[in-house]
Amino acid sequence: MLPLLFRNPVVVSRLSFASPLIASRFASTTVERNAVDAIRKTVKPVDSRKTFLIDTYKHLMEKNPVMLFCHHNNLTKGENAHFREEINKVGGKLTILRNNLFQVYLRNAQNTDPAAPIRRSEQNWKHPLLPFFKGPTAAISFSETDPAKVKKVMKLLEKAQDKLFIIGAKVENDAYDMRQLSTFKDLPTKTQMQSELLGLLHVLSGAGLVQTLEAGSNMLYLTLKSHEDNINPNKKEGDEEN
Amino acid sequence: MITKYFTKAIVKFNPLGKEAKTARLFLCAIPPSQRTSGLQLQNEVLVSGSSKKPTVKVIFKDKTELEVDPSSMNFTELGNYFDRHSRKLALKESIESQ
Repeated sequence: MLPLLFRNPVVVSRLSFASPLIASRFASTTVERNAVDAIRKTVKPVDSRKTFLIDTYKHLMEKNPVMLFCHHNNLTKGENAHFREEINKVGGKLTILRNNLFQVYLRNAQNTDPAAPIRRSEQNWKHPLLPFFKGPTAAISFSETDPAKVKKVMKLLEKAQDKLFIIGAKVENDAYDMRQLSTFKDLPTKTQMQSELLGLLHVLSGAGLVQTLEAGSNMLYLTLKSHEDNINPNKKEGDEEN
Repeated sequence: MITKYFTKAIVKFNPLGKEAKTARLFLCAIPPSQRTSGLQLQNEVLVSGSSKKPTVKVIFKDKTELEVDPSSMNFTELGNYFDRHSRKLALKESIESQ
């Protein structure tokens, strides 16, 4: 059953992308395990927790455009539950990160498989997010770019003071420090901004924009026309005769 | 690090600076039970280019204030620095309790 499955390229590619748990479900014997290893080569075993976490972090970073990185200070069980609930209400998700594994992901983020073996020199040691992982770190992820939600969470965490506080953020593909984040949180949402831009273009199109866009082709037409007239001055008269 | 004799700790650091590791490890070395039972913890996140200097300041039970720049030392050194005073207080306490 399994070798047949692996001969099918679609199954193979899906298995290699899927979480190691799914792959390991098939791999009950050593032969099958070898088959799984042949599909995906990772530093740690494919079904290990480390590989699983690296895959999870890849998913987290690629699916969530906005991530706030926080420092957390020995949260008690009650505080932990409280923060998770409050953040869920706003629309974010709190994840406590394992620093070393997250750093491995960041260094290999440009590769398709961050868990695959790679030389140290080929890793990206200058990833802008790397300095945030110098102590207990958690991430609050948002599935859409909405500064209003970020503002709410920041207000919520102000009350938490030393227990959980934001130290930096990832917005789309940029790393933000606190100053950039505080300007970002006051922006309108992305869709709102896009519609504003569209509105602005509509207003402008009445006056200058259409003219500007047309100017190039108009110029070309006129130049060619005058050139044609130069080459063939009789044509105009001929046209009139016909 | 002996945190038993701390009554207040003020930490200012830039998360992107080299003091970040020391400062953050100091923050998380304080047990939550102590945080709930009286120890005041203040922290401020600085941004690059800010005029404030990164500091770790501790006020002890006998009102002594010790202040240190976390960018110049690692966490063990910082712990030793505060322990020097904590041990004095511990010794004093053990003598007086007899």
